[in-house]
This record gives sequence, structure tokens and C-alpha cells, in this order.
Amino acid sequence: MSARSLAVQQEEMTVSGQNLANVNNNNYSEEQLEVSESSPLETSFGDEGTGDQINGISDSRNPLLDGQIQAESSTSGSLTAQQTNLQYAEAYLDEQISSSSSSPTADSPNGLAADMSNLFDSFQSLSNDPGDLSLRQTAVESAQQVTAQFNQVATQLSTVQANLNTSVQNDVGSANQDLSSIATLNQQIVAAQASGGSADQLVDQREQTLENLAGLANFSTTTEANGAVNVNIGGVPMVSGGNVSDNLQTYADSNGNLQVQAQNAGTQITLTGGSIGGEITARDGALASLQSGLNTLASQLMTQVNTIYSAGYDLNGNTGQDLFTGTNASDIAVNSTVANDPSQFQAAGAAGAAGDNSVVLSLAELGSQNIAGLNNQTFSANYAQTVSNLGNSISTVNNQLTNSQAVTQMLTNERSSTSGVSTDTEMTNLIQYQKAYEASAEMITTLNEMLQTVVAMKSV
Amino acid sequence: MHVSTTSFSHNFLYEIQNLESQQSALQQETTTGLKVTQPEDNPSVMDQVLNLQTEAGANTQYQSNITQIQSSATTASDALNSLQTLVEQAGEIATDANGVNSSTQLSTYATQVGQLVQEALQIANTQDAQGNYIFAGTDTASAPFSATTDANGNVSAVTYNGNTSVAQSEIARGLTVTAQNPGENNTGAGTEGVFADSRTGADIFSHLIALQQDLTSGNTSAISSTVGPGLTTDEDHVVTQISGNAVLQSTLEATGNVAAQNSTSIESQMSNDTSADLATTLTQLSQTQTAYQAALESGTMVMQTSLLNYLT
Repeated sequence: MSARSLAVQQEEMTVSGQNLANVNNNNYSEEQLEVSESSPLETSFGDEGTGDQINGISDSRNPLLDGQIQAESSTSGSLTAQQTNLQYAEAYLDEQISSSSSSPTADSPNGLAADMSNLFDSFQSLSNDPGDLSLRQTAVESAQQVTAQFNQVATQLSTVQANLNTSVQNDVGSANQDLSSIATLNQQIVAAQASGGSADQLVDQREQTLENLAGLANFSTTTEANGAVNVNIGGVPMVSGGNVSDNLQTYADSNGNLQVQAQNAGTQITLTGGSIGGEITARDGALASLQSGLNTLASQLMTQVNTIYSAGYDLNGNTGQDLFTGTNASDIAVNSTVANDPSQFQAAGAAGAAGDNSVVLSLAELGSQNIAGLNNQTFSANYAQTVSNLGNSISTVNNQLTNSQAVTQMLTNERSSTSGVSTDTEMTNLIQYQKAYEASAEMITTLNEMLQTVVAMKSV
Repeated sequence: MHVSTTSFSHNFLYEIQNLESQQSALQQETTTGLKVTQPEDNPSVMDQVLNLQTEAGANTQYQSNITQIQSSATTASDALNSLQTLVEQAGEIATDANGVNSSTQLSTYATQVGQLVQEALQIANTQDAQGNYIFAGTDTASAPFSATTDANGNVSAVTYNGNTSVAQSEIARGLTVTAQNPGENNTGAGTEGVFADSRTGADIFSHLIALQQDLTSGNTSAISSTVGPGLTTDEDHVVTQISGNAVLQSTLEATGNVAAQNSTSIESQMSNDTSADLATTLTQLSQTQTAYQAALESGTMVMQTSLLNYLT
């Protein structure tokens, strides 16, 4: 009995040692030795105790809490991916406030807002003296600034789009690796538990992998009686027991963007969480709106300006040319004939009079008119709205991310209090087990002395 | 409640990071003096700011247009005043010639009128600071008036080569004005011609040339019956032009004042929308810094204490 007690105390100390060693391991859950009284011996004067016995080592995981943390990891993974990429888009737009002066050139002198403002102002200047070659040159250069900025922003946003697609591809690869790890761990855990042992370290490892996967894609799980965890993404079973039943796969949609489907089942998977979900949401949501807003703006600018401009006459009496060429923000450009020769700027309403400004005056007034194709907004009001829509998207994501981080913190604390290791507790336990060990050892020494006394009696 | 060893440091880090980022945001607000810098900071303010900046740009442009037209209007005003003096002089000569019989005297008058014709031609071909002819309608690149001289070197006819269109300029949203005038307008519609207009009957050059010719030929009865009244009509016509010009200049001044006021009001709106209230910001910054320091001090104190310190 005492010998068994010694063994139990020794095992307790080993478990405490294990806990202490893992005090800083975030994925570790505190282990406890399950001890109970061993079966009593039946004697004529009643049940006699036989000491204690070890029933096993249990961990303190709370599966409910684990599930909540996985869900929150998916949420914050998605929001972080959206925040990062949309902030790149915001930076490329280059619309910032750097002073409280209202002059357009004080803030963001290279932004589209300032460029468009300068364009219409240059038409105004030209309307005062339409024969002046240097004012014509300025008007042409203002137009070139606008087209250059449209082109630049369009290119940069395309780069963000391409990077998002690359990220989706990479993250799908990582997710598939995690699925494979989870299946392997399932196999090992089921085998360990079937033979009657505990698989705490493997369970901790599997939980870490599940949280990693949650940060990439949202999923649901079911737990089998044999200890395996099945993973289900978008309604398609991905991990069943020890097998990977399906994988995530990317495919290109009609816009050339990557979407996600199940590799074997072939069904499309719409992810609402995880960085993959966030990347797709950002790319097809706020980024796509931004790109389409800029394309519409460029296209309307071209159409409206060209309609007025092409009816005008230049200083040589010629007419019919367009000022802008192209179809959208990425290819809008200034017609090279007028770019090379500002005297060909068609400012007049009729041929022959250098002071005739009626066409360039109409162009100037276009800046303050409401355009039907832009929801009856002026060019600059429409652009301002596009910028503020992006700002709204980012601001919403920022708020949601702050909340998600607070929730994650709360859940992590909760888990930590149920399954985290406290140095003070373990140290106290150690002292307790040490005393118990000493007591049991003392018991053995006493019994030994008593036996020796009995043996000595016989030998006398 | 079981408190694990790592949970304390995780919470500590989380709170410290929150305080640090609050501090950093307030610091930036103090340094830049702005409470909004990016669209994500305050999307609706950003929208307003972009619109205000466009409006400010347009407003500045209107002020520049006004200045330029003001300059053209002043040039025109000077020319018109000279023209008025000139036509008055011609009118006086016409009156003085009445009842004069001496051909020498009449000849002297004729020479004087000849000079007036040359002066009038110069006035008619006035250019503004940009080199544009101001009495040519929109045909501003070439001199609008040309003279034909006879064998004696006297001007026998003056031809108008400009047109009767004028170019407008926008001086405020939806408001356009012109400082241009056609030199002559005999179409019966549009802006009045300065030197001749079929609606008023003014025809300065024709009348001046006729006066010179009548003085030379001694036809004083034609002077008093036809040319004299013609010149009177011309005088009235020029006076009308001068008052039209004065109206234009006062419109320009009034519109310029409104534009200046708009400028001020846009600046103040911008400032309200974007400027940080330094008093509030500095107070908040000071509070955050205090909280940060307190958190650091108390955190390190607690983290260092554990049971291990007391076990020997």
C-alpha cells in the first residue's frame, strides 16, 4: 500500500513537472493525475483500504471554448486580410489631408481630385484667351496629368488584385496542409486512446492546427466517439476520421479572379471567414467597387468631353478630333495629335476667329454640371464619393477587427483560466506531494522497524 | 478563479498595446494639427473636404478670370474715353465750321479732322495686355480696322475686318460676361458695335471722313445738315458704350467680392472639418500617457512577484 502510495506521489510530481515545463506554452492544457482509492480488501471486520491508485492523466480542455476560439480566429483572420489589402488600395489612391488649407495643391497634389480640378480650371483660363499657345499647352498638360493618374491608379489597383489572387492560392495550399495534418493526428489520437492511453499532447497539437486552419478558412467540426475530429468546410467534408476526404482547390471565374471549390466534389465553396474568405471579400467587394467606380468616371469624362470637343475648331480651322482616347481608367490617354501641337486644340465654335472660345467655355462649364451617367453628380463629387466609400469600407473593417480582437482576448483568458498553468499552483502542489511522499516513506520505515522487531523476537 | 501565469502577461501586453496605439494616434493629431488625414479616419469628412477643395479651386479660378476681364475692361474704358473726347472735338469743329467762309480756315479744320481720323484708327486697333485686338469681336488675332488712302494721303474709307461675335467668360457659377466688343455691327442683332451700329445710326469713321471731305470742298451746308447731327449721334453712342463698360466693371467688382467671401467661408469650413481641437487633444494625450505609465509600473511590479520568491 505504501509502496503504491510512493509511486502515486512520484507520478503526481512528474505531472506537476510537466505542467511547469509547459507554463509558457500557449497551446498546452494543464494536466492532472486522476487518482482514486484502490479496491478495498474485504476482511472479517469490514472493508480495509488498500491505498490509492492512478486512473489516468486527464487534460483540462474545454471543447466548447476551443470551438468559440476557432470561430473567432476565422473572423479576425478574414478582417485582418481585408484591412491590410484595402489599406494598400487607400494608399495608392493618394488622397490624404496634410493641412487644413483648402487649396487643392496643398494636400494630395497628385491625387485625381486635384488633377480633375486643375483640368477644368485650365479650360477656364484658356477660355479667357483661346488664342494663347501657352495656355493651350497648359490645358493639354492638365489633361495628360489626369490620364496619367487614372492609368497609374488603375495599374496599382490591378496589382493589389493580383496579389490578392496569389494570397488566395497560397492560403489554399496552407489550408490543405493543415487538413492533412489534422487527419494524421486523428489517426494517432484514435490509436492512442483505443489502447487505453491518453493522447493529451497530440490533442493539444491538433487544436493548434485547427486554430491555424480557422485563421485561413472557416469550418465546422464534429467529434467522433473514438476521439477523431471531422472537419467540414462549406458543407463539404474535408477530414473524416483519419482520412482527408476532400481538399480546397482554386479555379478562375469569368473575371479571371480565383474562387474556391471542393477538389473532389466539385462544388463551389463560399468562405465567410478566414484569410481566404477575407481576401476574396476584399477583392470582389470594396476593391472591385473602387475599380469599377474609377472606370465609370474615366469613361464618362472621355465621352462627355469628346462630345463637346470634337465639334470645336482649332487654330487652323480643322475639326472632328477627340481630346481623349481609350475606354476606361487603364487606357485613357490624350490624343497624340493635340499633345504634340497645342494649336490643334479645338477651342472655337467656328473656324477663323482666334478669340472664339465657345467650345472651351462649354468644356470649362462641364466641370460644374451634373452628369447623368454618374448618378447626376459632377465629376469631382462622384470621385469624392468613390473615395469615401472606400474609406467607409475600411473604417467598418477597422471597428469590427477591434471588436474581434477584444473577443479573442476574452476567450483566450477564459481558456487560460480553465486550462492554463499557474506557477503558484504547481509549486504549492509540489510541496504537497513532497510532504505526502515523505509521509509514505516514513510509513515504510516504521513498518520496516516493526517487522525487524517481530523478527528479532523470533531469534531470541 | 484559476489565473494562469501566462494570462496575466497576455492581458498586460494587450492593454499596453491598446494604450500605445491610442497614444500614437493622439501624438499624430497634436503634431499635424489634424483630426482627419486618411479616408478611413472619417469617410464623410473626406468626402466634404474633397468637394470643398474642388470648389476652392474653381473659386480661385473665377477670381483670376475676373482679374483678367477687369484688365481688358479697363483697357476698353481708356480707349472709349479717348474716343469720346475725339468725337466731341470733331463735333465742335463741325459747329465752328458753320458760317465760316474762309477757305484757309476750312482747310485748317480739314487737316485737324484728318488727324482725328488717324487717332480714331489707332484707338480702333487697340490691343490688350495679351496682344489681342479688343474691338474686333472674336477675330482678335488681326487688326480689325484698315484704311484706304487717296492720292493726297487722306483717308478715304475705313473697312472693318473683324466680326460681330463676342466671347463670354465665366466669372461665377452660371454667370458669364464679356469684355469684348465688335468694332462695328450692322447686322441689327447682338452686341453693339463701338464705331458703328445700324440700330443707333452711329458710324464714326464715315462721319469723320465725310466731315474732312466737306471741309476740304467747302460744303458747309452738308456739314450742318448731315454730318453735324451724325456726329452728335456718334457722341451719344460712345457715351452709351462707356456706361455699359462701367456697368461691366461694377459687376466684376461685386462678383469679385462675393468670390473673396466664398474663399474665406470655404477655408473656415475646411478648418472646422479637419483641424484638431488642440486643447482637448493635449488633455487626452496627457491622460493616456499617465495611464500608460501607471500600467507599466503596476504591471512590472505584479509580474515580478510569485510564490517562487518566497520559497527557500
